[in-house]
Amino acid sequence: MIQTHGLVKRYGATTALDGVDLRVPAGSVYGLVGPNGAGKTTLLGILAGLRTQSAGSLQIGVDRSQIAVLPDTPQFDSWLTGREVVDLARVLTDESVPSDRVDEVLAVAGLADDAHRRVGGFSRGMLQRLGVAATVVAQPRLLILDEPSAALDPLGRREVLDLVSRLRGEATVLFSSHILGDVQEVCDTVGILRRGELLYQGSIDELLVGTATPSYVVRIRPPVQPAVEALKSKEWVTGIETTSADELLISVSSVEDAERHLTEALAGLGMRVVSFGPTAATLEDVYLELTS
Amino acid sequence: MSLWRLEWLRLVRTKRWIALVAVYLFFGFLGPLTARYLSEILSLAGADLEGATITLPPPEPIDGLAQFSSNAAQVGLLVGVVVAAAALAIDAKPEMGIFLRTRVTDVWTLLWPRYVTNAGAIAASFMIGALTAWYESVVLIGALSAAGVFTGIAYGMLYLMFVVAVVAAAAGRARSVLGTILISILVLVLIPIVGIVDAVGEWLPSHLVSALTAIPDGAAATEYLKAAGVTVIATAGALWLAVRWATNREL
Repeated sequence: MIQTHGLVKRYGATTALDGVDLRVPAGSVYGLVGPNGAGKTTLLGILAGLRTQSAGSLQIGVDRSQIAVLPDTPQFDSWLTGREVVDLARVLTDESVPSDRVDEVLAVAGLADDAHRRVGGFSRGMLQRLGVAATVVAQPRLLILDEPSAALDPLGRREVLDLVSRLRGEATVLFSSHILGDVQEVCDTVGILRRGELLYQGSIDELLVGTATPSYVVRIRPPVQPAVEALKSKEWVTGIETTSADELLISVSSVEDAERHLTEALAGLGMRVVSFGPTAATLEDVYLELTS
Repeated sequence: MSLWRLEWLRLVRTKRWIALVAVYLFFGFLGPLTARYLSEILSLAGADLEGATITLPPPEPIDGLAQFSSNAAQVGLLVGVVVAAAALAIDAKPEMGIFLRTRVTDVWTLLWPRYVTNAGAIAASFMIGALTAWYESVVLIGALSAAGVFTGIAYGMLYLMFVVAVVAAAAGRARSVLGTILISILVLVLIPIVGIVDAVGEWLPSHLVSALTAIPDGAAATEYLKAAGVTVIATAGALWLAVRWATNREL
């Protein structure tokens, strides 16, 4: 759906994007993550046609009229009603979309009861949901959402994430966030941006399995110290941490090494193993590992 | 909900139309009134003049329009600039700019309804004020040529179309509403200063401001054709700049 080649954006001496090759598969929910100042908003701005790249090229597989953009803090004329805002978005994007669709998306966004209230009285969360409703009303094929759940309370965040989840299969969604839990929950593909460079992009599953250092939690009968001393000397053990009186966190060079040697080594030491299992890496673990 | 209805609602729901009509209507009533009763007003202040006597010529019907024209060109214009700037600075709130810009193919689609609606409202308010001043001048002081007044109003409205185009161009540069107002006022003040040179002044849009007073007072309507021609061209040029600058702006 989206391909960029060597995308560069400079603001004077500052390079905001440095050769970004983005690949957003059609139909995916792509999470663009990175710390503040990583270049997420700049990249989304270029894709939305709101900024011009300094170098590089981009290809978007749909017509501009089929792209909808939601800024991080949507704002609308305070004297319009919620329904008027969404109807304006409908008319500007595709007038042939029936006006019933406005009420439909307002209901999905949980704003049916507030549709005829002026948006000047809306809360931050309601504005965000109104923004999502205005974004999806004309059924665009590509949605660009900039930090859609940032600065929302937990309930508002949940509502917006649910709305984004419902879009899966209906459109391609490019979603930027620095809330990694949100991205892990909603997205199937991820791109990690730091200082204008794309450090990783691919499926979240591959990222979690392939990038994070594999580690295992082992519970054994105390004392654990003999096991610690013995395992430290193994070349496939990259780290070992005593997390409690009967529990060890053992990092290994590969999953294969762990599966081949760890049980054998523990048995060889005569340790009484209570439980044994790989730790589940989170996007946050991988992100910190990649960006640190 | 079209962009035209959006602009209509902006005028109505924000009550900006009331500010526009009220200011022109107020000066429309006040101008002829002060022209007619200026002697009486001054005589009421006689005790403070320490024996000095001020003698004024009898009021002429044109004095009522002149008073209105003077106030309309200052306070009325300022209110008009503020109202137009608030509508034309489409990127004053970037998130609102993003909402609109990403849903249209070009900036012109957004600017044109804003320009037409606001210029129309300002020009209509000026016309209401001028007609009020004309009516009251006739009632209180004496007759004025209807053809001259209507021609003067038409030239005044043309000038206001130019003013709103200047505001649109300023919004393309300034982004904020306040910045747009300041740039617009600077440009609109500089033009008459350049016009102090007679040979240049009669070509400038600001020359049209005097048409409402001069034409009913006997000046030929054709004297303003040069300025009107330049105003039309300058209006088109300002709108072109407005679109160009707003298009090139990054959000």
